[in-house]
Amino acid sequence: MDQTTLQVYAVLFVFATALLAYTARYFQRRGRRRPQRRLAGMGRIAEWTSRSIEANRPLHLALGGAAVGGDKTAIALAEAEFFYHVIEGAQASDVAPIISTAAGSSVPLGQDTLRRALPEGGDSLSRVHWYPGELAYAAAVTATMKEDEPAAHILAGSFGAELALMIDSADRRGQGSLALSDRLDGQAVAYAMADEVLLGEELFAAAGYASEDGRAQADAIVLDVWRALVIMGVGIALLLEVAKRMPWLNWALVLSVSAILLVFGLLIYRRR
Amino acid sequence: MGRGQRYGIALSAFVAFAVGVVTALSLLLGDNPALFGEQPGSAQLAGLLALPADVLLRLATIVVALSIVIGIANLLTVHVGRLARGKAYSAVMLASFGFTVFWYVARQGDTSLLEAVQVPIESALAALLCLSLLHGGSRVLGKRADIWGLLFVAVVVLVLLGSLPLAELAPVQAWRDWLMRVPVGAGARALLLGIALGTVVTGVRALLGQDRSFRG
Repeated sequence: MDQTTLQVYAVLFVFATALLAYTARYFQRRGRRRPQRRLAGMGRIAEWTSRSIEANRPLHLALGGAAVGGDKTAIALAEAEFFYHVIEGAQASDVAPIISTAAGSSVPLGQDTLRRALPEGGDSLSRVHWYPGELAYAAAVTATMKEDEPAAHILAGSFGAELALMIDSADRRGQGSLALSDRLDGQAVAYAMADEVLLGEELFAAAGYASEDGRAQADAIVLDVWRALVIMGVGIALLLEVAKRMPWLNWALVLSVSAILLVFGLLIYRRR
Repeated sequence: MGRGQRYGIALSAFVAFAVGVVTALSLLLGDNPALFGEQPGSAQLAGLLALPADVLLRLATIVVALSIVIGIANLLTVHVGRLARGKAYSAVMLASFGFTVFWYVARQGDTSLLEAVQVPIESALAALLCLSLLHGGSRVLGKRADIWGLLFVAVVVLVLLGSLPLAELAPVQAWRDWLMRVPVGAGARALLLGIALGTVVTGVRALLGQDRSFRG
């Protein structure tokens, strides 16, 4: 595929996403809210928020290594949106949440998130901690766990294997943890060690689960739609590849089987 | 929300939208002279179209560099505040910061202090990380006592055994290679696909001026 064709497809994809986003928001505004699929782990956030308010202990929200201005800008923005809703839920606490980051350019983003979410801005300057370097970040966060005694840790962002140091330390202090990473090594550590775990891509939908904000929920729906389309595309490509190797397969059979599977899938989805 | 604030939000959303669209179009059209055919002057036209993206991206680089200065100021503010509350770690941090800057300036760009302290400490932390991972791995079944936890442990054991350089374990090594090539490769691609989709949705939200930072 030449570069021009690729660019045209990219533009069409962006336009289709914008169209889907507006359509989903329109239906959200009209009150036709689609029940969201369950994300295991999100339910614990409310419990940790209550514990934070009752015990006057902060929540620790970790941005990790996602930096504004680099190729992980979208991840940093998604984290900020998710954390905004978490902080908003913990407004009643006397102690503002702590936001930590390993990227200097994400400090203003963290401060802005705290300023918007807390009544009258809160103490947005001193509640954002920057610890440069992945391992240095993990070490400094473990020190924060001892000094500030957070009620729980939401480690949602870009982490590698150093996530193990942080989760291990939180676990030994009896502090809850929810973790996810956009990196495979960090995601494996999160699955093995965290109390609650989300998949890396669920970061982009998390804001829709942490709040009743219609726009955030609409974005989560758009993601679900694209994901379903990608799965269907991959499935069809796989069927076509298999069909090439099996002469008895033909289009009519593939389409019939696809239609039957689609109907079964819809029935199972509706029953759930 | 007052009328002035509403206008402010609308203006910032419009500016974000305009800058986003101009940059995207400039990047798309400016990088591709073939779009304008083989006519004379097509390369100049493509160069002209690439200019807005170039200028805006340079501006973004300057803003990001400035945000790192803000980060350093924030680091110092946080630790001065903590020092006032009697936190000893902050005193060490501030002293290290001051001494490193002094060393760098006095010895005209000498980074040996950083290399002599930071690198060994990070190496020690990396060694500790192995222990943490081992400890965490040993508790998987305690945390996730289900079929997936069992599968996770089985795969970890298989991959570890397959990594041993023993001729007797050749079949295990073949299984390990297959695991790394097929299921792990597929999982990594699935994760990347999901993140790519999320990145597009977040990018579109920012492009349309709908991100929270533009909404007041």
